[in-house]
Amino acid sequence: MTFRCWAQLTLAQWRDQPWRTLTTLLAIAVGVALAAAVWFVNTGALAEFGQATRRLVGESDLIVRGPARTGFDESLYPQLARLPGVETASPVLELEVALAERPGTLRLLGIDPFRAGQIQPTLFAELSGEFLDLFAPDAVFLSVAAAHKLGVQPGDRFDIRVGTGRRSLQVLGLLSDDAYPRSLGLMDIASAQWTLDRLGTLNRIDLRLSPGSSPAAIRARLAGLLPAGVQAIEPAIERDRAVSVTRAYRVNLNMLALVSLLTSAFLVFSTQSLSVLRRRTGLALLRALGLTRGELQRALFAEGIALGALGSVLGVLAGHLAAAWLLHRLDGDLGSGQLSVSAAALAPQPLAALAFVLLGTLAASAGAWAPAREAAHRAPAQALKAGDAEPALARLRGGRPGLALLALGALLACLPAIGGIPVFGYLAVAALLLGGVLLAPRVTATLLAHAPRSGHLVLDAGLAQLRGGVGLVTVGLAAVIVSFSLMVAMAIMVFSFRESFVHWLGEVLPADLQLRVAQGSDTGHLEPAQQQTLAALPDFSQVEFRRIVPLWLDPARPAITVIARDFVPGRGPAVLPLLYPVPTDPSLATGSSADAGTDTSTATAVTAAADPATDPSTAALPPLWISEAIVDLYGWQPGEAHELPFAGQRRRFRVAGVFRDYGRSNGALVIERAVYRRLSGDARASEASFWLAPNRSVTAAIETLRQALPGGRDLELLESTQVRELSLRAFDRAFLITYALEAVAVAIGLLGVALAASAAAVARRGEFALLRHVGMLRRQVLAMLAGEGLLTSLIGVIYGLLLGGVLSLVLVYVINRQSFNWSVEFAIPAGQLAAISATLVLAAALTAILSGRAAMSGETVRAVREDW
Amino acid sequence: MYWHRMRPGLAAMLRGAIYTLGALGATASGAAEPVPAPTPSPTTTETTPTTIRRPPPAQIVADYTLTFPRDHGSHPDFRTEWWYVTGWLDTAAGETLGFQVTFFRTRPDAVDVANPSRFTPGQLVIAHAAISDPRHGRLWKAQRVARAGFGIVAADESDTQARLDDWHLQRQGERYETRIATGDFGFELVLARTQPPMLNGRAGFSQKGPQPQSASRYYSVPQLQVSGEILRQGRRETVRGSAWLDHEWSSAYLDADATGWDWIGINLDDGGALMAFRIRGRDGGTHWAGGTLRRADGTQQILHPEDVAFTPGRRWRSPRTGVEYPVEFAVRAGPLQLQLAPLMDDQESDTRGTTGAIYWEGAMEARQSGRRIGRGYLELTGYGAPLELPGADSAAAADPASLPASLPTSLK
Amino acid sequence: MDPTARVVLRIENLVKRYRPERPPVLDGPSLTLHEGEYVAIMGESGVGKSTLLNLLAGLDRADAGRIEFDGVELGSLDDDAATLLRRRQMGFVFQAFHVLSYLTVAQNVALPLQLLDVAADQRETRVAAMLAAVGLGGQGDRHPRELSGGELQRVAIARALVHRPRLLLADEPTGNLDPRTAAVVLDLLRTQARNQAGAGILITHSLAAAETADRILVLDGHRLEPLAPVRDNSPRAPMPGAAR
Repeated sequence: MTFRCWAQLTLAQWRDQPWRTLTTLLAIAVGVALAAAVWFVNTGALAEFGQATRRLVGESDLIVRGPARTGFDESLYPQLARLPGVETASPVLELEVALAERPGTLRLLGIDPFRAGQIQPTLFAELSGEFLDLFAPDAVFLSVAAAHKLGVQPGDRFDIRVGTGRRSLQVLGLLSDDAYPRSLGLMDIASAQWTLDRLGTLNRIDLRLSPGSSPAAIRARLAGLLPAGVQAIEPAIERDRAVSVTRAYRVNLNMLALVSLLTSAFLVFSTQSLSVLRRRTGLALLRALGLTRGELQRALFAEGIALGALGSVLGVLAGHLAAAWLLHRLDGDLGSGQLSVSAAALAPQPLAALAFVLLGTLAASAGAWAPAREAAHRAPAQALKAGDAEPALARLRGGRPGLALLALGALLACLPAIGGIPVFGYLAVAALLLGGVLLAPRVTATLLAHAPRSGHLVLDAGLAQLRGGVGLVTVGLAAVIVSFSLMVAMAIMVFSFRESFVHWLGEVLPADLQLRVAQGSDTGHLEPAQQQTLAALPDFSQVEFRRIVPLWLDPARPAITVIARDFVPGRGPAVLPLLYPVPTDPSLATGSSADAGTDTSTATAVTAAADPATDPSTAALPPLWISEAIVDLYGWQPGEAHELPFAGQRRRFRVAGVFRDYGRSNGALVIERAVYRRLSGDARASEASFWLAPNRSVTAAIETLRQALPGGRDLELLESTQVRELSLRAFDRAFLITYALEAVAVAIGLLGVALAASAAAVARRGEFALLRHVGMLRRQVLAMLAGEGLLTSLIGVIYGLLLGGVLSLVLVYVINRQSFNWSVEFAIPAGQLAAISATLVLAAALTAILSGRAAMSGETVRAVREDW
Repeated sequence: MYWHRMRPGLAAMLRGAIYTLGALGATASGAAEPVPAPTPSPTTTETTPTTIRRPPPAQIVADYTLTFPRDHGSHPDFRTEWWYVTGWLDTAAGETLGFQVTFFRTRPDAVDVANPSRFTPGQLVIAHAAISDPRHGRLWKAQRVARAGFGIVAADESDTQARLDDWHLQRQGERYETRIATGDFGFELVLARTQPPMLNGRAGFSQKGPQPQSASRYYSVPQLQVSGEILRQGRRETVRGSAWLDHEWSSAYLDADATGWDWIGINLDDGGALMAFRIRGRDGGTHWAGGTLRRADGTQQILHPEDVAFTPGRRWRSPRTGVEYPVEFAVRAGPLQLQLAPLMDDQESDTRGTTGAIYWEGAMEARQSGRRIGRGYLELTGYGAPLELPGADSAAAADPASLPASLPTSLK
Repeated sequence: MDPTARVVLRIENLVKRYRPERPPVLDGPSLTLHEGEYVAIMGESGVGKSTLLNLLAGLDRADAGRIEFDGVELGSLDDDAATLLRRRQMGFVFQAFHVLSYLTVAQNVALPLQLLDVAADQRETRVAAMLAAVGLGGQGDRHPRELSGGELQRVAIARALVHRPRLLLADEPTGNLDPRTAAVVLDLLRTQARNQAGAGILITHSLAAAETADRILVLDGHRLEPLAPVRDNSPRAPMPGAAR
């Protein structure tokens, strides 16, 4: 068969069935659009993120980094600058600075422009404004994005917060448009040290090496030179780390987007199967006319490919538009809170676009393969006879492969993550899903076979019809089973997570009032004297201060968070949502306050861990509590001794327990603040919790707090209930896109059901006519159809619930844990699931009735020309 | 290549730095601004815009006696200062080259000295190096700029000790040592003194214009004997030659009427030395001139404006920039009548992409009646466009891109 | 019968059964068809007329016996080879017309030529000529749903013969038509089978229809027995089967 012949046949066939063709196209397009949009947004954001990181890495060959907030002594700078093999050493103070008057922070880079100009030349290209004015102590150059964010222009001033006070900075000029895509301010290093209260310290030194010196050799030399906690990092690691922060989240989203593509594939399977069934006489005729089996199969397969390619192209275009819209509306942050970019980040990605066209085409081809094969292998003689009944779809009943896939899925779910990505977890979901769908016909047949006869003529007729056409039923159900089971799984996962999160919030926010000097800022803090002032206020019965400092345990990973906290008498470490406290903790009696360790009742689970008493030297060490992520990422275990760098020295701690922390998936440590203060010399505090004294009002207390300190009006003060609300709102926002993707997948699935129903209805016009002739009332026929629809979708929904339940186990216990490094308690959103199930069943019944009505009105049928 | 790798950023920086250098014209009148009382902390909350707290630079006065080695060192109270070495080199293979290395020190005005940070840029150091290579027909050049501090960038006050990372120029007794290393060329030279410093003007007080405050402190060390090695694209060669060192500092200099200058420094073959310059006015004529002639017997003659005349001869047009330079001159300097012939015509530095200035600076031979009587350096600035220096009306009018090399030499 | 006429089809002792436990649907019929012959096969419902046709078309396989088409044993061909043979050498007319509703009349008729890669200009000429021959000249652009049953069957006949097959197989071509239309179609079928094809087989249970053939055979489940010729439409020799 020539291509032209095929094209003519296919085009004529599509023209003849425009609605079915359009729907199939649309389904593929929507699936591809979603997948592509998520990908475009993610890669757009990442590209911008990556570019920003690259710009900051510049041409450095090594980056020496110390703890961001505490830094290291600047005397390291001349040492490194003099090191043979080092061509340029560029001293840097890199700080997230809290803004006054507006929320958020600005990344400020204190640099020596003469040095940084050689390492990050693009930052300094075409600066507007006079460069040497930067030596003024309040002078700052802003990136275009930063000026936009702050709403300032060259010459304007804006306030930042240092400690609890404010400092005013003047915008000297702007970096060139393409110098840096994100928010950034540049200050002279001397001004930055002075203005940001960091005299004598740096937290980063960029090194460019002389031609011919090896970074590895220099790194080896540096190892002996750098104080503890200061590391020399290769630029590649620096770049990767920035990207790895959000990797798990991005992979999750991409997987979710692929689900819609998968659903599309099943929809193509459904529509093509039905289409092939509808056209069986025509196809048989072609066979009779001399089309070989292979030719027919290829022709039908090519039809699917053509549909897929066309739909995919549409989808990629739509995906690009959707991505642009998303970037515009959501700043490119698909809920992770860590990637936020400008709409400008969306550059055309021809390769990715091509890949998605291929992927969509592949999905459609996969969906078209089985029907094409089925049609080609059907004996043409049968179909050519008039009154050919619905042929059995025996081929589709994959009992054994289905079971094998389920077993494989279960096995895959037990394997560990690769590089922080739950690769096997996703494969397990895919295997379970596919296995589930393959088993669906057999299970459906069994269920139908055992369905009781009602004795009611109409219902029994419907049931009989279903039994006769199990293949057709399951074909229609395949798409909906896939999307619905995934939705169920996601719903259970998100619900479980949310429940655990709510519970956790309750545990970590026991106080009445929370104070934060400036969230995420390296410069906001309370000085010791200020802490004393606050602690002495009569409004409160107790005050707990916390110092939050980022720390690098491994340069290849994002920084972990060290939380140095006071253990309030009477509460001890119990305010931590402990999972595995080590029992009989001696340090709690000695190192901490006298009554520490008395109460572990709030711990969510108590599991005996390693015995700390085995090593007396370990037992004497100050205690350290680690979040689950530290266990997962660094392999630390309770009872072990580990070192942490403070003030350039390695200090040993004993891991006393594991706590749950939904706030920081990169890992967090808790140590006692008294210990931290002694080891680091850092007596500042970042946060505080307040317990109200009896008979004091919260509002009055807040006012008192604001009055108590200079700059008190800038403090972030929230009641714990507000914190809880805000956190939950943030949580829901993070999963918004998840819900949206799922809804679309289910919509595609429902479309599949609708298509199947209408195709079946049209195919059964003769049957309806007959039933009407033998005296069945119109509404009886409709009732029969509704019953069939109900029963069909009920089977689909129950099956989807079961399959989804199994999948949710993988999501909760494998994918979630491996992606985010925190555990979640399994919980089932019964009400939510019931509502969705009911909606789905009703929708299916309604579809059945509607298509039945259409099929029975002869005129209508003519009007739509046997199109569904 | 060092220069190329840092191009866009350093360009802006140099412009800024040079602006500061250029600003030395700004207070030529010597009007000192009142100094606000230093306060211990930077712009604390809700204050008015910061005032820059730094005393104005010191002014050159006529009656001052240079004392060495102290005055070999730097004078950080003055706005700008340099140690400027030019000379001729002969390689073992018989090649003849010109070379130049300069360390500038500049004192930025816009710095708050109350800032206790050790990074406070009280002084900047700029270094510039070049080799004139007639056989390859090219000028190798490189420059650097950095803030002084932490012992890695410095211009010491006690003696000539200028360092910028691994580049340096320093005096060790009767010798100067310098080292320059870049990606594709470099040199390590020892410059042995054969004569005492030659104080220019009146005992080192060098007048630069009709107004008495346009002046610098200026001495030269001629007839330095050079030995050492140079490196061109990885090829190392031993060289010998002769060189000239200028050390000059000032806070105020150019008149607004000047457009450029011609300057020479020549080691005469008989052991004498000649420095002469003229500053060209807007009318193209000589605005000011001066110089010093040291005879072979060591006696010196101060050359006054009427003693010096530069008569342009053959012109050479740069194929790159289209600027035309008089690369040959007839010079009258006191009793001497000289013809100047360049080592090669193309010793133009087009630094518009970086500093904005186009100028000609190169090795040349001095002849009398067609016979060589000495070798030295000639510098020609302001031939492309009038060389504008930031004046009292500040940077806005000026092209801050004027010149790293040209401005300092202009003082000679 | 003209002894010089070539044999188009030879059937020997065909056996076909669908279920092993049941008696065969066909049990040994034989038939020899020469070039230029147009034969009708009659039989009761369920005696295996359509089965025989499917076996002849290579759409189904016999359990025993031989079918020789132009000297080629059909049983020796695989599905693809049988299909290609069908494509080139056979034409079909069905009771249910089987005209593709989404193609125009001309496109339907052109299908076999397209499958045979006949060049477009030649194709158009032949389709136009064929449509004219079945009385549908100039109606190639119409759509099947605008046509009457008789017209549809004319389209089917045109399609069956447009590629000048060696053998025309017509299975109850008038089953869905009123007697008047049926007569016209049968006449057309006979004429065109003569003009365009090597030989023709008309399967029908209607005697009236069968009588348009050169000779009539009756299928009784085991054998093909001749029925006395009602009239001799053959321009050539008298029917050998009638003489027997």
